[in-house]
Amino acid sequence: MNKQENIKAIEISKTLKGRSLWVDARRRLFLNKAAVISLFTLIIISIVSVFGPFFLQYNFSDTDWGSIYQPPSFETGHYLGTDGNGRDLLVRILHGGRLSLSIGLIATFVSVFIGVLYGTIAGFFGGKLDIFMMRIVEILYAMPYLIFVIILMVVFGRNIYFLFIAIGAVEWLTMARIVRGQTISLKEKEFIETSKALGQSNTLIIVKHIIPNLAGPIIVYITLMVPSVIILESFLSFLGLGVQEPLTSWGVLISEGSREMETAWWLLIFPGSFMVITLASLNFIGDGLRDAIDPKEY
Amino acid sequence: MRINMIKFITKRLIIAIPTLLIIIAFGFIMMRVAPGGPFTNERALPPEIERNIQEAYNLNKPIYEQFFIYIKNLSVGDFGPSFKYKDFTVKELIISGLPVSATLGLSSIFISLILGSFLGIIAAIRKNTYFDYSIMGISLIGICVPSFVMAPILSLFFGLYLGLLPTSGWNGGNIFNLILPITALSLPQIAVISRMMRSSTIEVLNSNFIRTAKSKGLKSSYIIRKHVIRASILPIIEYLAPASAGLMTGSIIVEQIFGLPGIGRYFVVGALQRDYTLVSGVMILYASLLIILILITDILRAYLDPRVKI
Amino acid sequence: MQSIQKNIKNSNLLLEVNNLNVFFDTADGKIQAVKDVNLFINKGECLGIVGESGSGKTQTFFSITGLLSSNGYCNGSAIFKDFDLISASEDKKREYLGKSIGFIFQDPMTSLTPHMKIGEQLSEIATFHDNLSKSEALKRALNVLDIVKLPKSRNLINSYPHELSGGMKQRIMIAISLMCSPELIIADEPTTALDVTTQSEILNIFNDLQKGMGISIVLISHNIGVIAETSDRVMVMKGGKVVEKGSTFDVLTSPKDEYTKHLLSCIPPWLEG
Repeated sequence: MNKQENIKAIEISKTLKGRSLWVDARRRLFLNKAAVISLFTLIIISIVSVFGPFFLQYNFSDTDWGSIYQPPSFETGHYLGTDGNGRDLLVRILHGGRLSLSIGLIATFVSVFIGVLYGTIAGFFGGKLDIFMMRIVEILYAMPYLIFVIILMVVFGRNIYFLFIAIGAVEWLTMARIVRGQTISLKEKEFIETSKALGQSNTLIIVKHIIPNLAGPIIVYITLMVPSVIILESFLSFLGLGVQEPLTSWGVLISEGSREMETAWWLLIFPGSFMVITLASLNFIGDGLRDAIDPKEY
Repeated sequence: MRINMIKFITKRLIIAIPTLLIIIAFGFIMMRVAPGGPFTNERALPPEIERNIQEAYNLNKPIYEQFFIYIKNLSVGDFGPSFKYKDFTVKELIISGLPVSATLGLSSIFISLILGSFLGIIAAIRKNTYFDYSIMGISLIGICVPSFVMAPILSLFFGLYLGLLPTSGWNGGNIFNLILPITALSLPQIAVISRMMRSSTIEVLNSNFIRTAKSKGLKSSYIIRKHVIRASILPIIEYLAPASAGLMTGSIIVEQIFGLPGIGRYFVVGALQRDYTLVSGVMILYASLLIILILITDILRAYLDPRVKI
Repeated sequence: MQSIQKNIKNSNLLLEVNNLNVFFDTADGKIQAVKDVNLFINKGECLGIVGESGSGKTQTFFSITGLLSSNGYCNGSAIFKDFDLISASEDKKREYLGKSIGFIFQDPMTSLTPHMKIGEQLSEIATFHDNLSKSEALKRALNVLDIVKLPKSRNLINSYPHELSGGMKQRIMIAISLMCSPELIIADEPTTALDVTTQSEILNIFNDLQKGMGISIVLISHNIGVIAETSDRVMVMKGGKVVEKGSTFDVLTSPKDEYTKHLLSCIPPWLEG
């Protein structure tokens, strides 16, 4: 064996060893019935939201004054009924789903990015920098952050891209705390000491050793953060401060539905159910992942 | 002990002041730079409001002096005139909304704390029984159904279909008008608190000092009362401030849906109409309340857990 | 039948355990932690239990006193005086626990309730079992502190566990077990978490309790040195089974079982004497 092959063999053995932990976690996750069913449900909701509208006969902004407040019916093709403008509810829910889910994902990634960076830096370098950075987090924590988001939306206009950033910007605090704690405990581990002794730079250690080892808690937290972001977006849209017409999200639909529930219950119940099922699925997946990655007997 | 407590509170206040200052500065800057704000000339204002604002904010003075005057006014409860309700000051609006919001908020927090902790403890004691499963199942609904879905559904069901309860209005604080809003507001918090309480109680029940208490031959009810609860309630105390923040934002929704004239409703109207003075007034009020709550949390924790240094 | 006859013959007998089995339900199925253990303890005697961790020595006594974790259960009999602790109801068992049988745990750091004052943790047991008033119970607590060689002070009574050292906490634990003048004290690795000087002080207290007050003691330890210093008889456990028992002198000087020999060979030579 020459040198190259040697290195290759080491690489392979590394990936094998690294995977076994995740294989184990996956096995445990798939043993959890609630998590598997939820995963399945979530995938279906996502696929239907993304591709469903192409297969339906109505467009999400088509108004039809001849068929306003139609109850759900198979004959008319308005499977979930229509709203006060005669728009098909199912198409609108699916479009809303696209928006709600993508806001959930994008805003979560924004906050995970900020949180992981902030938390690892604070935790890794420690000392005065850590105290200072965590004091800032503490101060921000004490603020009524949702009210902050509302004000940000008011000041900077109801722009959907800004919505992503505003939500991401307030949701990173918890992530930063978790990551910092994990980093501090990782920092004491032998393999980090070894890397330091080998003269690797701090950036390299953070990127190559610390962050990959944070994957578990980060993944768990993402599944729990996505639902809270979806709720936050819907909350803003419900108040009329989030997504604006003609775009729609679940929050907008629920808001419309709650105003018109006396004449058309379906306008509230169906968007609400889609949202609740999605949130419940994400919660179950999050719980399942937590148990799978960090098994603790209770 | 008492001297320590005063020291402790002062120390906490010293941390709290910068927080409050940042929030005030945020509100101050927002009013000056925001598009359509009271001090930009983007919008034409009725002359009488323009004059009110000119006077109230001393716009002819340098900016740091303006900020200083703003803080001075805030410290005596003067939030300035409302930007949209031209006959009212922000203080008057807040005072008119306060009884409604305070009634809602305080009763919800008490109900959530008491009911949530109680259900959590019982679920933990009867771990893995049908009682436990049903409590945890119901609390899952509380977590997954946000208040803006729960509130309309409650009012649809109990108000419109069953006709049992009024669906909107304050009606001078009539108890029947309060049931639905308080329920909608408390349910998510009861759900979260009962889950937290369950897991922390289970952890305490498995701890070494409970084994010691059992080895003393004490009655289980006595052990739960004296040894378990004070230890297992600590996470709930820590959760007090986030829960109150949740209730504040929740009340914005609930007041909107049930047509209650509280502070949250003014806040939404203010936000939609860019009434910056009103919005920043409410923000400062909420932030101060939260800071006070965090202080109370710290004191309670020090009282409950002697290991916390005062 | 046999045990009852023995009981009549030997009036000195305090606790007799017969055919004790302990099981745990785990994710990997049912596990038997203790296999068919028989033992007895006479009045005023110190019985040492030796074995490595996981040998079932602790679970044996947890099962007798009903302290098994919720996924554990046991069968067999444990006759304390004339009362079977294993088949008894919870209420009935409570009358003996803390009153006639005291338990001392391995980790003094976490075994006291953090939010309760030492005085209350001492006195509650006496108010509960002996119906004493609070002030009477506190008075008794002060006397008991004397026995475990802690200062008889109000200060100590009013302090919280985190304000005390490990050795002091273990003395408090012993004091708790003494509050209702027990006949048997079960001490599970009482010195493992302590430093060597504190260890010998604690062992001296046990010696005083046994010799001076006539209390029977079960001393569970993985440390043969500790057992040799204190116990009259010794029982060696491995893998949930009793592999050897006899008087301490016999077992330590002429061990019959391979495992006991192995254990003894692990003691560094300068400690033998």
